Amino acid sequence: MSNKIGFFVCHCGINISSTVDIKELMEYAKTLDGVVISKDYKYMCSDVGANLIKDSIKKHNLDSVVIACCSPRMHEHTFRGVVEAGGVNAFNLEIANIREQCSWAHENKNLATEKAKALVRGAVAKAKLLESLETSKIKVTPKALVIGGGIAGIQAALDIAEEGHKVYLVEKSPSIGGRMAQLDKTFPTLDCSSCILTPKMMEVANHPNIELLSYSEVIGIEGSIGNYNVKVKKKARFVDMDKCTGCGDCMVACRLKDRISSEFDEGIGKRSAIYMPFPQAVPLKCTIDAENCLLLTRGKCGTGPLCVEACDADAIDFKQKDEEVELNVGVIVVATGYDLLDPTSLHEYGYSRSDDVITTLEMERLISSSGPTTGEIIRPSNGEKPKSITYVLCVGSRDETECTWCCRIGCMSALKHVYLLKEKLGEDIEINICYTDIRSFGKGYEEFYRKIRGMKTNFFRGRPSEVRKSGDHLTIDIFDTTTNKLFEIKTDLVVLAPALVSRADATDFTRILRISQSIDGFFLEAHPKLRPIDTFTGGVFIAGCCQSPKDIQDSVAQASGAAARAANILSKKELEAEPLISYVDEDLCSGCSTCLSVCAYNAIELVKDGDKSQAKVNEALCMGCGLCVVTCPSGAMQQHGYKDKQLRPMIEETV
Amino acid sequence: MGIVDLTSMGESQVKLRNEINERLSRLQDEISDYCYQCAKCTSGCEAHKLLELEPHKIVALLKRGLIDEMINSDVIWTCMSCFKCRERCPQKVAPVEILFALKNMAVASGKQIPGNYTAMLQSVLSIGLIQDVKSITTRDNKTKSRSDLDLPEISKPTDSTKFQMILSKLAVEKV
Amino acid sequence: MKSYVLYPGCVMPTEQYAYEMSIREVLPLLEIKLVDLKDFSCCGEPIKSVNQMLSLALSARNIALAEKEGLDIFAPCPMCHLALSESKRILDSDPAMNEKINKFLADEGLTYMGKSVIVNTLDLLHDIVGVENIKKLAKKPLNELKVATHYGCHLIRPSEIGRPDDSENPQKMEKILEAIGAKPLDYPEKLDCCGGLLTANLPESALTKTGQKLQKVQEQGFDAFIDTCPWCHRQYDSKQTKAGETVAAKLEVPVFYLTQLLGLSFGISSDKLGLDLNLSPVDKLNLGGK
Ligand SMILES: Cc1cc2nc3c(=O)[nH]c(=O)nc-3n(C[C@H](O)[C@H](O)[C@H](O)COP(=O)(O)OP(=O)(O)OC[C@H]3O[C@@H](n4cnc5c(N)ncnc54)[C@H](O)[C@@H]3O)c2cc1C
Ligand code: SF4
Ligand code: SF4
Ligand code: SF4
Ligand code: SF4
Ligand code: SF4
Repeated sequence: MSNKIGFFVCHCGINISSTVDIKELMEYAKTLDGVVISKDYKYMCSDVGANLIKDSIKKHNLDSVVIACCSPRMHEHTFRGVVEAGGVNAFNLEIANIREQCSWAHENKNLATEKAKALVRGAVAKAKLLESLETSKIKVTPKALVIGGGIAGIQAALDIAEEGHKVYLVEKSPSIGGRMAQLDKTFPTLDCSSCILTPKMMEVANHPNIELLSYSEVIGIEGSIGNYNVKVKKKARFVDMDKCTGCGDCMVACRLKDRISSEFDEGIGKRSAIYMPFPQAVPLKCTIDAENCLLLTRGKCGTGPLCVEACDADAIDFKQKDEEVELNVGVIVVATGYDLLDPTSLHEYGYSRSDDVITTLEMERLISSSGPTTGEIIRPSNGEKPKSITYVLCVGSRDETECTWCCRIGCMSALKHVYLLKEKLGEDIEINICYTDIRSFGKGYEEFYRKIRGMKTNFFRGRPSEVRKSGDHLTIDIFDTTTNKLFEIKTDLVVLAPALVSRADATDFTRILRISQSIDGFFLEAHPKLRPIDTFTGGVFIAGCCQSPKDIQDSVAQASGAAARAANILSKKELEAEPLISYVDEDLCSGCSTCLSVCAYNAIELVKDGDKSQAKVNEALCMGCGLCVVTCPSGAMQQHGYKDKQLRPMIEETV
Repeated sequence: MGIVDLTSMGESQVKLRNEINERLSRLQDEISDYCYQCAKCTSGCEAHKLLELEPHKIVALLKRGLIDEMINSDVIWTCMSCFKCRERCPQKVAPVEILFALKNMAVASGKQIPGNYTAMLQSVLSIGLIQDVKSITTRDNKTKSRSDLDLPEISKPTDSTKFQMILSKLAVEKV
Repeated sequence: MKSYVLYPGCVMPTEQYAYEMSIREVLPLLEIKLVDLKDFSCCGEPIKSVNQMLSLALSARNIALAEKEGLDIFAPCPMCHLALSESKRILDSDPAMNEKINKFLADEGLTYMGKSVIVNTLDLLHDIVGVENIKKLAKKPLNELKVATHYGCHLIRPSEIGRPDDSENPQKMEKILEAIGAKPLDYPEKLDCCGGLLTANLPESALTKTGQKLQKVQEQGFDAFIDTCPWCHRQYDSKQTKAGETVAAKLEVPVFYLTQLLGLSFGISSDKLGLDLNLSPVDKLNLGGK
């Protein structure tokens, strides 16, 4: 309870004083219960104004301050500092907004002055009930977790590590590199993908500040910004990482050699049960695929495991078990990337009917000189060189029945393929591109499109309705809107550019991470324009294609942005916690969990207390938005600085 | 103000267009405005190769409001109702349903109904079915009726005057 | 025994007798009882081009008639099934339309309630009876007969209205045919239209469509062509010779209703299944005696 309130009113030049009678307001304030002094100044936010407040606090021994001025959005923060400097708790300050809510909104001076009085009356009523609040400090664990080792995760990890902070990089698959490692060359510059990626992967492997946890998954996260406790499952590789030299002898020896479809080669190539996904893998260690290995699935591998026999380093260890490790970090960068839509769902395009209908990513593996065909372009059905290749763009993209968004890389990857295929198969190879719109928006992209137009490419502006198998060929009927004619394309190989979608496990993952997905399934940013890297959870950032489809340069840029945002937090020893947050009145809470569902920051959890459960607000996560307070049906949820018992008298006095 | 097609001097019939869109949105959710002219419908149209129907163009003309041009053309009567265009449209536009609306409009405005449609309509009005029970011939040229084949008699609408009255009242209603 | 009201539509009971006969023979063996519908009329779909309001109301009328019996409705014709399903969808979701149509139906003392489920031959055989039960009855398996299935447009599209099988990869007919020993194979033209609906105004073009598809089927060496739609069957079977003439090809493709083939495998005599009504050369397969 406060009973020595100082009242200060600002003229704001003439912004306020031309419409509100300052003298009258000052006189009025003096009559209010609790107000001991009433002062005005032309610019209260100036040094002179600030000193006036500070001096008055000391002189009159004030315990609380009301300032009638502009919106609290403008100067509340400044004035809190001023009051604090004067010796009063920063939260014993109440602002009556008589500019935006009064002088600017009205013309009649008498009425405006009356309204200003009402606002001041309310502010004073609340000021009497204000309580001192302490801003608590949170210690920051100066380490970062990066989830996903694609180009985005690699870039973020390197940037944070370079800032001098420790980084754990958790990658689900046996090697880092992500989709970019699967690509041959990259548009629009045609840089060799592995030539620019491998050095970065090596840097990750060798950086003293980076600890790589490959073949690992994040299975639980607790805590909040500054202090996250992360559980990671290191899946058993059945190969001793310290002993394995990466020689690959076991891969050659394995009984299942060339029998298992290779994920890295998009199913076009085959691998063994013990494998390294690609020759430049980081770490360059073998992994046994427990779902296929004969010994691990049947308990017996012929007369004995050939891999063990082949391994001179004695690295194979079938007794290895999954391991759980705990990491403590201050911030998290999520960079889990994307999947391609499985074109089987658009059955009309024949992906499941013919081996010669492939995806753009499969084509990347065919083009790649380190791919399953060592860069030879063949028809998967018979191994022959195709004479005609036809691309269908926007497969499942921009489609109300599949994915409503644009994949943003489909057009460019098809154009890139034209260049690479002509290089390999000669400029006269027939390449047809069925497009709806060519989207070449990036730097140098339109110029690249022009180059491809000059390379004897058949562009059809239209979309096929289906792809048919007719004998040894595939046929496509396409209505071309540039010539207004229907064409039949007889072709050897059809390449579909499928939509980009969020990872299959994205939904489970958002639960672990307490972040949200947008309607399209990608991770949701805190603000599409102004906070595109932040999530609603403090200290968790998103980068690369897990946020939305994008090309490599955008993924890298976003990753560097995320790293900067993360390092920003890590470079502080402590963080200030917002004191104007919610808390639960335990006597009133019925445990109905309504508040949980409205909190965008996942700051509320239900805790069991005997047979009763109750809401509990995580102080580090709550942003003080107040949504839970208004939602709580029992009035149990309250917010510091805005308690019902502080607001009610204010409202009663105002209206 | 206004938009004129300088090849035919046809004007954009905005009101009619809105009427059709409203009808479509009531019957199947999506309206033609979402069409982005990918022409997937025409690429797969069963009637295109044979009879030059271009469903994407039908949608485009509707979007432009050039309704008369379509109502006066025989091409709207070439659709086979295969529903491929509706099934596969990435924007859930249904050219086939637009065609039904246009044909209905042509009929309502007194345009000649092609072929046997009038006969079918007459038959439905009088006996309830598009055609009456027939005797048919077998592979070895014998004639058979329903009763020859031990099939029960079929039961058409009993009170035919009432039935006819209802149908003629309905026929002037708008969907 | 589960009972259904049999809603026959126009084409089946006025000329496509083989479909009706085989249905009436086969379904009771599969524990499905059929109740004949009185006073029924056209479903309206054939005149949707002329007046969609009429077609909506005619469908609603037939549903209302069936609902008086308190039973679900069996519409063997895919076009009728589509018309009834679409009408139901609209009446169930649009109260204004529901009220309007019911006002007209009231003149005949009828009410559309929307309680009856509407099923097609494929629903009955595949989902309700089940492939296993069909297999049990198959006494005379169709030794590896290489068959092409034709679902017919209205049976699978538009999926928005809820059709008996998948619009792009329908497999229920295949499953049923496999159960009786036939060997259905995929072919590129499987989902193509018979053209039948053009008969009203462009009969020549309709026959061209029919002929083109059959020609492809013949080229690919199929033993038989199986359908379940009276409109399609009229094109492929009854008018096969004419269709052949239109595309300048000699067509000799045996065409059966799915239910005829089922009946044969169940050991029902061919005359009870109306096999002599098929005008395509079904004899050449020597299936089932008299
Ligand atoms: C056919 C094709 C061609 C392309 N060509 C080009 C081109 O020429 N130029 C260009 O700029 N862009 C191109 N792109 C786009 C490019 O692939 C992406 O921009 C880039 O790969 C995005 O990187 P990322 O790190 O965000 O995601 P990803 O590369 O998908 O990497 C994500 C990583 O996270 C891992 N991960 C996933 N889930 C988890 C989890 N739960 N826990 C731990 N780790 C996880 C994955 O294993 C993966 O290693 C092409 C795309 C395609 C499909
Ligand atoms: S145990 Fe056998 S199957 Fe398994 S990795 Fe070794 S050789 Fe291959
Ligand atoms: S990038 Fe090109 S292929 Fe991909 S959805 Fe957009 S327009 Fe279609
Ligand atoms: S105030 Fe907002 S952020 Fe804090 S717990 Fe409530 S809903 Fe969550
Ligand atoms: S398929 Fe749909 S979006 Fe494409 S042109 Fe036809 S109506 Fe328009
Ligand atoms: S429904 Fe008509 S317009 Fe649509 S694809 Fe079939 S024939 Fe063409």
